[in-house]
Amino acid sequence: MVERFQIAAEAVGAIVKRFTTLIDGAGYVTSVTGTTTVAAPTLPPALRRALPDLTLAEPADFAVAGAGISVARAGIAATGSLLLELTDPTDRSATALPPVHLVLLDITTIVPTLADLAGLLAENLNRPSPAYLSLTTGPSRTADIERVLTIGVHGPKELHILMMEGDASWTRD
Amino acid sequence: MDKGLIQQKLDNTFLRRALKNFAAAYPVARAKAFEGMDFEELRVRISGFKEAGLEQLPALVEQFTASAEKAGARVHLCTTPDDANRTILEIIRSKNADFLVKSKAMTSEEIELNHYLERNGVSCLETDLGEWIIQLAGERPSHMVMPAIHKNKEEVAELFSRETGRECPPDIPSLVQTARDSLRSGFLTGQVGMSGANVAMADSGTLGIITNEGNGRLVTTLPRTHIALVGVEKIVPSLTEALDIIEILPKNATGQKITSYVSFIKGPTGDEGRELHIVLLDNGRLRLAADPAFREALKCVKCGACANVCPIYELVGGHVFGHIYVGGIGLVLTPFFHGFDKAEEILKLCIGCRKCNEVCAAKIDIEGLIVDLRDRIRKPFGQKFLFGTLMKNRKLFHAALRTAYLAQKPFQGEGGRIRHLPLVLNRETANRSLPPIAERPFRDLVETGTGTGKSKGEKVLFYSGCLADFVYPEMCRDTVTSLEKLGYTVTFPQEQTCCGIPARYSGEMEVARDMARINTDVLLKEEADYVVTICPTCTMSLKHDFGKLLADDPVYAEKARRLAAKTFNFSELAARKAETGDWRLGTGKVPQTVTYHDACHLKRGCGVHEEPRKVLQELAGVEIAEMTDCDKCCGFGGSYSIKYPEISQEVLKNKLENIAATGAKTVAVDCPGCKLQIEGGLEAAGSPVKVEHSATLVARRIG
Repeated sequence: MVERFQIAAEAVGAIVKRFTTLIDGAGYVTSVTGTTTVAAPTLPPALRRALPDLTLAEPADFAVAGAGISVARAGIAATGSLLLELTDPTDRSATALPPVHLVLLDITTIVPTLADLAGLLAENLNRPSPAYLSLTTGPSRTADIERVLTIGVHGPKELHILMMEGDASWTRD
Repeated sequence: MDKGLIQQKLDNTFLRRALKNFAAAYPVARAKAFEGMDFEELRVRISGFKEAGLEQLPALVEQFTASAEKAGARVHLCTTPDDANRTILEIIRSKNADFLVKSKAMTSEEIELNHYLERNGVSCLETDLGEWIIQLAGERPSHMVMPAIHKNKEEVAELFSRETGRECPPDIPSLVQTARDSLRSGFLTGQVGMSGANVAMADSGTLGIITNEGNGRLVTTLPRTHIALVGVEKIVPSLTEALDIIEILPKNATGQKITSYVSFIKGPTGDEGRELHIVLLDNGRLRLAADPAFREALKCVKCGACANVCPIYELVGGHVFGHIYVGGIGLVLTPFFHGFDKAEEILKLCIGCRKCNEVCAAKIDIEGLIVDLRDRIRKPFGQKFLFGTLMKNRKLFHAALRTAYLAQKPFQGEGGRIRHLPLVLNRETANRSLPPIAERPFRDLVETGTGTGKSKGEKVLFYSGCLADFVYPEMCRDTVTSLEKLGYTVTFPQEQTCCGIPARYSGEMEVARDMARINTDVLLKEEADYVVTICPTCTMSLKHDFGKLLADDPVYAEKARRLAAKTFNFSELAARKAETGDWRLGTGKVPQTVTYHDACHLKRGCGVHEEPRKVLQELAGVEIAEMTDCDKCCGFGGSYSIKYPEISQEVLKNKLENIAATGAKTVAVDCPGCKLQIEGGLEAAGSPVKVEHSATLVARRIG
């Protein structure tokens, strides 16, 4: 299923990397973000500790941040999609404004198809409180001019998926 | 329809190329997206819950409203476009705003929101790339999913240069970057954002939005007020149904397994003071949902697949083939959303090939609804006489056809074919010659004893159809010969008359109903095992339409059911014999290789496409060299080829190219109409390729 996820995600233009430790994953994040400011309003504490040199952008400056970082709640193998829980608009902006989006995914949360996510989606949507859930599949795209596929319109131009294969329970903290 | 506009689109080489390339690429991408999935099972399920939902739409609206309001959204049910426009303006004004930043919503096009708001001092910014292009051009979408498919990069570059005040080169990636840069400030400064929704869930009050560019997420995130304009028919009971729609829509729309983004939005999110307004648009939908004859149209999920496969859309695009909603379903929805006056002309543009039905995500009988709607539009002068008086009276109708035999004489050329019709018809039929009406129709040949009563097998009543009877009597004779050689006893009931399809397609439903009654009586009078036709349109008529037309008449509804049960196309019955082996190959000459053209009404009207191939290979003993798009319309469409000869000829041109590419010297068909059209095109082009009905090849081959 992990293989299928990777193939499907790469087929729609995502950059997929696999890591066994948090440290390796953090190293990749740093290599992508470089010295730019990063929109990452809700990083898991363990990841934040592993990225001591990260320059976090203020929400008001997300539009000029170089990258955004999020943690996925689940993945769909059939389509290479990521489920993101983005009820807070600040979290949403971090995934929508910067040109680069990095998402960490615990591979144990990958399900075969969209239908297999029904339970998790329903659990979130059937609570009385407001919610905003997002399935993200590859970078933003358009084919509106002469049907030529062009990557990166209003959303991220690059989507990096970090598949965490070891103990990734920290992603849920 | 404005003939000038049609010609203008036909002459637009960019549009033609763009749509032709798309028509070729779409089926491949779509098939790949559905790989490993059961499309039929999925769409049957969607059709089922959509149908059930429409029957209780007011209750779903009520439930959705309660759920969404419980989650903190404000729901406004608007009856008319005016109500919706006013409501949206009031929301914007209540925020002291004069600017609306929008993602794509067909409902907004439907109510012409931008015009209304701009008249009232609110500026609108479309941020979907295609929508922005057409907003800058001051046009309307020509496709539901790809609104600017009719614009080339040079035109886009010109629009962007004018808008940005700097030279934009016609390079697609750089044009996309220009859109990103130019529209950014709109997202960041907009106080009010607008989206549509692809689905709405009644139990939780959640909206589902399916997008690719990322603008939908920005307009629902950055502005503190979000207005969603949603047609009431988008409401489904729960997430379960919504997931089916999310599963099918991108695959059917663009051949994507899923779009880049699918958002589930429940209530206003974020700090205090953020608002979500859901404007539910009725605009005739609730009334339509209560109309059992046409409510099926509201099952539409707006994927646009019906346009993607339409041979007429492929030629003229959405500015001709549609109003605001385009494609097959656009033709159906227009009268209900925008009035019959807007629909009158476009309803006539459908050629009736049923390609749309085959791909519809909600299994809507789009073609059937178009035909039924023609009953409700104004009829051309003289049509009532033609159908009401002439066609209902078989003797008069057949006498008229015999007179036509004499009238055509002056126009017949070498070999008897008609190459030039007089006066105005001349130019438009120049690319196709016509076969003459036969001196003696088949019905006269039978009277003098041609071809019946030679076998003692199961009894077949042969229903030839008018075209075969009066233009191709030899095709009828070959059918009888084939059936007899296959062991059937064949009778031709002399009182049979037109199946009524021309009347039905022209909106004369009462006449069609009368024809259905007459033929049902004629064909049930004599005991027989089968009724066999060689015209797929007649087969479809006898098998499906009669039952539908006579549904309200208990006596005839039962008769129509009995007739339908024993009606078959020639190839279906012949294929059965191919299996029994109860026949032998003769010594007659047939070509070694043929290519096969699937008649629209045989494949999609009757679900028959394997049998003809079996018959050709096993009974006629030929090899089949399949052509590209073998099941795509030839452009005949009955009277369509006379009403819209310019379109018909272009559809035919594609078919002739595909035939030529196979190298086959014979095209086999199972439809006299397709034979007339294709043969006429080949003949006018000076091609030596012949067109033969399967029955002719079988008659020649078996002993």
